[in-house]
Amino acid sequence: MGLFILRRLVIMVFTALCLTFVVFFLTNLYPNLEKLAKTQGNFRMSDEAVQSYLLNRGYLLPVPVKYGQWLGVLPGYVIEGSDGELRGRCISSGMQPDEAPKFCGIFQGNWGYSTRFKDNVSGIIGTRLGLTGVLMMWVMALMVPSALVLGILAGMREGSKTDRSLSTVAILTTATPEYVSGVILISVFASSAVGLKWFKGTATSAMENPNLENFLLPVLTIAIYGMGYIARMTRASMAEVMTAQYIRTARLKGVSFPNVVLKHALRNALIAPFTVIMLQFPWLLNGVVIVETLFNYKGFGWVLVQAAGNNDIELLLGVSVVSVVVVLITQLISDIGYVYLNPRISVT
Amino acid sequence: MSHDKNNYETIHPAAKMYAQELKEGKLSRREFIARTTALGLTATTAYALGGLTQPAHAGGHLQQGGTMRMQMDILGLKDPRTFDWTQLAHFAGGYLEYLVEYNNDGSITPNLLESWSTNDNASKYTLNVRKGVKWNNGEDFTAEDVARNIEGWCDKSVEGNSMAVRMASLIDADAGKAAAGAIKVVDSHTVELTCVASDITVIAGMADYPAAVVHSTFSVDTMGTNPVGTGPFMPDGYDVGVKAALVKNEAHDWWGYSIGRTVPLDRIEFIDYGTDPSAWIAAAEGDEVDVFYETVGEYVDIIPGIGWENSTISTGSTIVIRPNQVAQDADGNTPYADKRVRQALAMAVDNAICLELGYAGKGSTANNFHSGSMHPEHDPSVERLPYDPEKAMALMKEAGMEDYEHEITSIDDDWRKNTTDSVAAQLRDAGFKVKRTILPGSTFWNDWTKYPFSSTNWNHRPFATQVWGLAYRSGEAWNEFAWNSPEFDALLAEANAISDADERRKVAGKCQALIAEEGVTIQPYWRALYRSHKPELQCEQHIAYHSHHYKWGFKA
Repeated sequence: MGLFILRRLVIMVFTALCLTFVVFFLTNLYPNLEKLAKTQGNFRMSDEAVQSYLLNRGYLLPVPVKYGQWLGVLPGYVIEGSDGELRGRCISSGMQPDEAPKFCGIFQGNWGYSTRFKDNVSGIIGTRLGLTGVLMMWVMALMVPSALVLGILAGMREGSKTDRSLSTVAILTTATPEYVSGVILISVFASSAVGLKWFKGTATSAMENPNLENFLLPVLTIAIYGMGYIARMTRASMAEVMTAQYIRTARLKGVSFPNVVLKHALRNALIAPFTVIMLQFPWLLNGVVIVETLFNYKGFGWVLVQAAGNNDIELLLGVSVVSVVVVLITQLISDIGYVYLNPRISVT
Repeated sequence: MSHDKNNYETIHPAAKMYAQELKEGKLSRREFIARTTALGLTATTAYALGGLTQPAHAGGHLQQGGTMRMQMDILGLKDPRTFDWTQLAHFAGGYLEYLVEYNNDGSITPNLLESWSTNDNASKYTLNVRKGVKWNNGEDFTAEDVARNIEGWCDKSVEGNSMAVRMASLIDADAGKAAAGAIKVVDSHTVELTCVASDITVIAGMADYPAAVVHSTFSVDTMGTNPVGTGPFMPDGYDVGVKAALVKNEAHDWWGYSIGRTVPLDRIEFIDYGTDPSAWIAAAEGDEVDVFYETVGEYVDIIPGIGWENSTISTGSTIVIRPNQVAQDADGNTPYADKRVRQALAMAVDNAICLELGYAGKGSTANNFHSGSMHPEHDPSVERLPYDPEKAMALMKEAGMEDYEHEITSIDDDWRKNTTDSVAAQLRDAGFKVKRTILPGSTFWNDWTKYPFSSTNWNHRPFATQVWGLAYRSGEAWNEFAWNSPEFDALLAEANAISDADERRKVAGKCQALIAEEGVTIQPYWRALYRSHKPELQCEQHIAYHSHHYKWGFKA
């Protein structure tokens, strides 16, 4: 088991390196740098000004060198600009050039500086990941239990009226994308159009103080969409288990139906939904972009969009690393979880 | 106003002439105010000279205290000289003030300057710095500060410094810095400016939003946290993309109090709700904001439905849909170098249709030469090339370009996209081939001056010659038309040196006619701007998106 986890971790580091290099290469293409210079300087800036801006700030060094500096294996650049000012990657404002450290990259714990947000990348990612974490927690708390109940109820008697009606609900919610259900929820429950105005159609205040009024609608929008999907998987899995020989045997021995479902069928039926639930984590991390935008909740998905839209190189790299880690960690947990749910599976 | 130093004898001769023209109906009220105040008259004197009643200032009816929350984009702070969005000035303006203030009635009133005067051909300006102004760190604000800031505005080596264009007449073109002797500190409260060429727009340029006055210790990095300024507010947090706040600086003895200004609000919060107006409406309905920075398009009509009000102002903000005369197509030809092609494009478009479809009719039509009745030097007798699609097609055939596919680029938003679409549709109706390309805002501005055929929005400026100087003069960085006309440059220089209205209008009229005749651009309409707010709030939309924080507050 230890070896398995170790192997996964090595793969994780390797994937992160490959991915960040790809991101690094793409964000450092000249047109992207030009865009960066223009958003930092003045978006109606002349070409000469763009050149001198990029040159003075080390953006025109070769890509592998810049990547090495970001990692912290090569010393950070120190450039005397065309305006006579000395700029360096490791020289933060108010610091004397000779006091600055030589290396400042990931290996030194320095995640870099966001050009879009004018702040340290680690701080931004920490805050925003926390906000999405809160959103994710409530979504999971609402989505997983209701989906499992829905799926089990539908799957235990395949083809019954309960099954058909619950399945219809599940298919309907899954087939409705968030940008449709979110808009419907806002106009019904939060706008003057219908006039109920029970909740708020924006979650901006929920970033500081989440409560039922400002947070229910975004949570509901994501949960409804994911719920149908997990419920469908649970139903299929449950229905299959219910046709198994050992269930029939248990029934014939006179075990009550609730006991058959809860004690004999449930654990086996949960393997497939468990994977799906684990896959929801990476999806939630980046897939909440639409809902975060719709409800103006500034979490991780929003940071990703901002970083990509503004060619914020170091922030985008930070986001990529976090994404890789989250995807692979949830995969690891789901692999280990299998072993406990199904003793026939072994990771070694 | 505490500086009634103008008496009739010392009034600039041109101002008296303007008063005569106002009486004869040659000048509109707004033109008159803009022109005379730019010559150094106080607003009070200007109103008196023109026999006009000065609008009552509503400040007295506002209650003291309260927090105003405004929906606004929170963009990354930068050096004020490089401001490219007025939203930045909405925040920074709370503590970094301006020498002069541009008002909705077209007047330019003194702020950190107490008054100013100019010689007859507008080549020499005397700026009288207001006495008793203090920085919020306790230092005195003096003529040295003014001179240092103007020098900074003239520094062309700062990447993205757009003030350099506004101060062009003070700059030594070769050195890229203020010309020797152009800025002279006479005494502790007087600065004298000597222009390289006559320029009536210097003071108006100082009223524009990047002209915020900064302290000698100013640094961009600490701008949002530890700022020294002269204004009545101080920053209280700036979180890009999320939220920013200004709080009343109680410890600071703001100069405005001594001339009777009040600061009603205790706190101003700016909250970023993204670019989708429907999210703003949701925020308004959830009582999370009190005012929108700007309301556009169909949302203007939704506002009364949620119990809010619209504040509106008709302005010189506009859009140009223009061909670039040096742009090359795939075969290396320059399709828009041919005047006939450009004329055909302009003639195929009915500007009223652009206004109707592109901006829901909220504005007035323009005539393709970027000058209108809101500009003092506008000559109403000049007309655009007539709308005539058949003649347009004939011209295009004559140029041998009837089969050419025009690619029109625009940004992906509401009104700019729709207006460009309406132009494309009309060109198709005229029989031309058109391909539309829509780019997201994050990439559109990379090449905005170079697209072969694209649309750009332009903000209001007090004088038509200012816009012409920025965008239509040969070789300017913002000349997106790539129009190179020595004839126009000469006319413009001539116009900039004439303070006599009739004479100047004759030259301006020639400029207008030349721009229209050359088919430089399609400039279909002038926009009315809207700002939506709660009925109990006073926070008017400004003609050029400036922010006068001390005028905002809740009604008593």
